[in-house]
Amino acid sequence: MANGVHVTTSKTAAPTRLLTQAAGERQTGALVVGGHPGGAVYVLEGRVIYAESPAAPGVGELLTSSGRLAARTWQNALDLGTSTARVGRLLVEQGHLTQGELELCVLGATYDAAYFALSAAAAPVEFRTGAAHWLGPVVHIDPGAINREVRRRIRLLDEIFPDPRVDTAAVSPVPRPPRERITLTALQWELLVHADGQRTPADLALLLGKAGYATVQELRRLAALGLLELPEVRTDSTEFVRLPRTRGSAVDAHRPVVRADGGPAVPVVSGAAPVAAAVAAPDATDPPDPALAEETGANGAVYRPPRLARRKPGAKLPKDLAGEAPPPAHPGTDEVLLKRIRTALRALR
Amino acid sequence: MAIPGAVGASIVDYTTGFPVATTGAAPNEDHEAAAAGTADVVQAATSRSLFVSAVPHDLLEDLIITTSGGYHLLRLVQTDFDSRLVLYVWLDRVQGNLAMARRRMQKLADELVAT
Repeated sequence: MANGVHVTTSKTAAPTRLLTQAAGERQTGALVVGGHPGGAVYVLEGRVIYAESPAAPGVGELLTSSGRLAARTWQNALDLGTSTARVGRLLVEQGHLTQGELELCVLGATYDAAYFALSAAAAPVEFRTGAAHWLGPVVHIDPGAINREVRRRIRLLDEIFPDPRVDTAAVSPVPRPPRERITLTALQWELLVHADGQRTPADLALLLGKAGYATVQELRRLAALGLLELPEVRTDSTEFVRLPRTRGSAVDAHRPVVRADGGPAVPVVSGAAPVAAAVAAPDATDPPDPALAEETGANGAVYRPPRLARRKPGAKLPKDLAGEAPPPAHPGTDEVLLKRIRTALRALR
Repeated sequence: MAIPGAVGASIVDYTTGFPVATTGAAPNEDHEAAAAGTADVVQAATSRSLFVSAVPHDLLEDLIITTSGGYHLLRLVQTDFDSRLVLYVWLDRVQGNLAMARRRMQKLADELVAT
């Protein structure tokens, strides 16, 4: 069980390249990445089943620090399932977690840790053939998808605030905000409240049970807002009023925190609506309840643009409208589509 | 369970705009772009506009974008642990039933976690 992140004999290479290679050869084992923060990516016959990194809370930390599982429950599962690599399955079998929760949690934790393990352009890497993870296989992710996502996440951070020092240095809020009024998200507040000048982003992520990447992302946003001391400008002096120079370098007021444009516009569907996911929907057997019927009536007919509700809630429908509903059974998507989301969850990893 | 008029759907990590799972069609045949847009919209509603903090302990449930050709529904998936997922369903404007789709998406989002 090679769970440690200790590297014995290794060469320096691009971790993503080695992952691609291991996937191509359909290998089973652990890709152990050294350096800071480093981490390990576990593959089973070429598919990624889990990843861990000191900078990202693992499944256990996420589940216990959120209060979803009692620490004792988690420890019991570890004691029972570690030697046979089936901790994940045990938690579901014993009724502590649903399969859906476990999958979503493992999926999130894996992409999160993979970012930290694989984002270095070059690091000491080693492939330990045959190494398994005690969690056991819960998800199976295409390594190509992981590599692409790691690259995308690196880019996203740089779009927010291109200073990677924010990701690792001890978090230190500025003593005085650079403007009169600031707006914070809940996670940003949590981070600032718990930042004591000693804790690193990884410490905060573990402490709060938040994804490591989401933590770093919010910290970069805070840095962009000028609310964090950047490592370079930190001094040992206890001055409370910062010089304007500091503000200038830390605040980029013109930078939008989230990409405001460039994102895809909501598309206009042309006359022939896509029917790629056409599956028989037995809509006729499923009469809409009165509250829905007005909507249905309007939609069943030719589209009339600005049609606002003229009916009070609970009021009877006009006869002519009620008669139209339900619309002709549309070979729309349905249960099958929804099931396929679940199936797709499995198929995509 | 049926969502009449649904054209495509995906589950998106809204911190990163990553489509965790996709099915059916996507606007412009591009699930990744749709996911990135989904993330932007959720971020805008949660962190920039302050709709979600109008009432103490308020919680974002869903977002609905209406275009002349369709409805785009975003439903937050609530988990006890930190997950940040949103369910996105694209509905055809003529065939879709917004109220019904909204209720069924709620059920789907709950079932995703509860089963």
